[in-house]
Amino acid sequence: MAGFILKRLFQAVFVVLAVTLIVSFAVRLSGDPAIMLTGGAGGVTEQDLQNIRKALGLERSFFAQYFSFLQGILVGDFGRSFMGGTPVAKLIGQALPATLLLAFASLLTSIAISVPLGVYAAVKRGRWPDQLIRILSLVGLSFPNFWLAIMMVLFFSITLGLLPPSGMEGPQSFVMPALTMAIILTATNVRLVRTSMLETLSQQYIMVARSKGLKDWVVLYKHALRNSAIPLVTYIGLQFGGLIGSIVIVERVFNWPGMGTLAFDAISARDYPVLQGSITVLALFIVFINIAVDIAYGLVDPRIRTE
Amino acid sequence: MTFSKFLTALGFTAAALAAPMAAPSAQAAGTLTVGLTIDPGSWDPIDTFLVPWASAATNIYDGLTSRGPDMKLQPGLATSWELLDNNARIRFKLRQNVKFHNGEPFNAAAVKFTFDRLLGDEGKKGPQQSNYNSIDHVEIVDDNTVDFVMKQPDPVLLTKLAGYGAMIVPPKYIQEKGDEYFNTHPVGTGPFKFAEYNPKVNLTLEAFPEHWGGAPKLDKVVYRMIAEANTQIAELQAGRIDIATLIPFGLTPTVQQASNLQLVSITGPTVVALRLNTRDGITKDLNVRKALNMAVDREAIIKAVLLGHAKPIASFQSELSFGYDPNLKPVPFDLAKAKQMLQAAGVQPGAAIKIDFRGNDATFREVAQAAAGYFQALGLKPSVQPYEAPVLLNDIIPNGKTGEAWHNSWGGWTFDYDNTAYLMYHSGEKWNPYGNDPKLNALLEKQRTIYDVKEREKILQEVSRYVADEALEIPLYNQNTILGVNKRVKNFVAPADMRFRFTDVSVD
Repeated sequence: MAGFILKRLFQAVFVVLAVTLIVSFAVRLSGDPAIMLTGGAGGVTEQDLQNIRKALGLERSFFAQYFSFLQGILVGDFGRSFMGGTPVAKLIGQALPATLLLAFASLLTSIAISVPLGVYAAVKRGRWPDQLIRILSLVGLSFPNFWLAIMMVLFFSITLGLLPPSGMEGPQSFVMPALTMAIILTATNVRLVRTSMLETLSQQYIMVARSKGLKDWVVLYKHALRNSAIPLVTYIGLQFGGLIGSIVIVERVFNWPGMGTLAFDAISARDYPVLQGSITVLALFIVFINIAVDIAYGLVDPRIRTE
Repeated sequence: MTFSKFLTALGFTAAALAAPMAAPSAQAAGTLTVGLTIDPGSWDPIDTFLVPWASAATNIYDGLTSRGPDMKLQPGLATSWELLDNNARIRFKLRQNVKFHNGEPFNAAAVKFTFDRLLGDEGKKGPQQSNYNSIDHVEIVDDNTVDFVMKQPDPVLLTKLAGYGAMIVPPKYIQEKGDEYFNTHPVGTGPFKFAEYNPKVNLTLEAFPEHWGGAPKLDKVVYRMIAEANTQIAELQAGRIDIATLIPFGLTPTVQQASNLQLVSITGPTVVALRLNTRDGITKDLNVRKALNMAVDREAIIKAVLLGHAKPIASFQSELSFGYDPNLKPVPFDLAKAKQMLQAAGVQPGAAIKIDFRGNDATFREVAQAAAGYFQALGLKPSVQPYEAPVLLNDIIPNGKTGEAWHNSWGGWTFDYDNTAYLMYHSGEKWNPYGNDPKLNALLEKQRTIYDVKEREKILQEVSRYVADEALEIPLYNQNTILGVNKRVKNFVAPADMRFRFTDVSVD
């Protein structure tokens, strides 16, 4: 097991290194932060721009900048934002919990919806509830999430006046963003639960359980669902990574003070340190989740460890 | 603040000072909430050049001069000024008994500190220094008098002292706490003092009742950072922000239809034009440029795309701008005549004309398509090319890689044509990749040395007429500054430059 984890970690280091290199390089392909900062300032001379670039450390070669960025990461120092000089680590420290909370809330909501629906669809296989659930998940899958978000704001905040349209102020702030994300996740999860359940339900031990005279829900939830959970856990784990990526748009619509908002603003302002820092942390996070899933998988199913 | 209100406010202050024991400060309760698009990250005046900074910080700080919503220059922390030594020196008399929010006194030393910092190493790291390069240094004459010793004449300086980098900062506070602390804990002499700042989320200010201009009527002003227009409007509709600063033209009807909201649409600083390539393509020919100017129906574009929230322009400036010439009218729309002129100029039907524009500007995308439609009607073969804004502004334009026409959008808070015209038409400037006109250069350089208001205005008007005669661009429109305001906000006069000052504002 230790060897397995080590190998995974070793791979992870390379993935993260590649991500930092690509991000640092790509963000420098266009746009000059010094010009972005001076905006419409009248009479900006090349000398002024040079001064600003020097102050930002941009007069150095790409690799010099990249290596000082890497050096910083090793000691947890991601540099300072070009806009106002706030330490990037501090900005990420505020944004990451906000994003994680939202991601967890979305995931939990999605599980709470998709498991009962998926099980029900499996039980009523081929009959109208199954068809209906299938159609609904297709509809859910087809929604662009920003559109869904705006519609929810119009309905819950403007028409009904029940929920705050944006911001992170309390439990009620989570409802709409988490639901937006959850609806999209649920669409796939329902299908997954259904398929996985169907497979398990056709196993012999389920027949045995039934013939023992166990109650239906005991068979379904104690025997079948537990055994269907393995692919589900993997998938949801991986989904968590993808979730962090697709949260950007939802965060923007709901003005959620998370990593997506941070990265988005940083791209527009060519705020290299903030962008590099936030993307690296997200990459680290996704890589970590993947390792965790692999390990969890290995724990659940010993066959995988030995492969 | 108008001048009469300013005097009234002064009167009230005097009365308040004369009878400090008469009554506890009568302060109406209330919090005003404003939606801003971007968090500038630092509230230090020398660090940024973003309008949202000014929308908030204009309440925290004062400049030596000030400018209210009517755009007229008024005394600020300086009560008067005079030009000395053949304009090489400007002497300011300072307002007395003014204190910073932390209790530190405002005096000549604070002014000198502010400008030493702006013009020195600290200012070098930010975007504000270059705006004030005409100042050589500041000399203290006595505790209430300072001299600005000029490196070169700068007729726009007095305006520039009313905002952004020239805001007066507290010397002792910054020396003790350091620059970094000051960025996130700003202290000034303005009507509101800093209370709390959550980066990327909000900034809270509290009333500073001892302000020299009179105590504000509000208790608190909260600025919330909301980058998405739909979200700002939803917050406005839900009554959770009182002023929304980001209302795209397409969403103006939403605000107009809401019974609790008011749409403010006033003449703003932003002007939009299609600049023409004078080096390559069919636009090399003056007669072709003139024909193109005639072929675009500005009124129709304003009505259809900007829903009426703009005015047609004849030169690249707003009517609020110093140097604006009311007698210079836009070229009338005449497609038939334009066609004739193109033929006379020997332009073949199907000749190419490419419009480069900022792809993230949804409004201009439609304008570009409309313009392309008009060019097609002339028998040309138009195309539109979107770019990511930084790419267009930092590469395509300065390096002369544009098509025949490109999107120019400009809005300076100084409302002085000098800034715009010099950068747009003087040779060697980044915004002027193709032109090198000695006559234009001479005019632009000359007006920079003239303090006489009338004379300088005449030269600037001459510049605008010359540019129109040469048809260097197709001036399109001056777009309005648009705000969504909750009707519970009282006594709010919207400033065209969004530099809000909430002293007189109250909420129900």
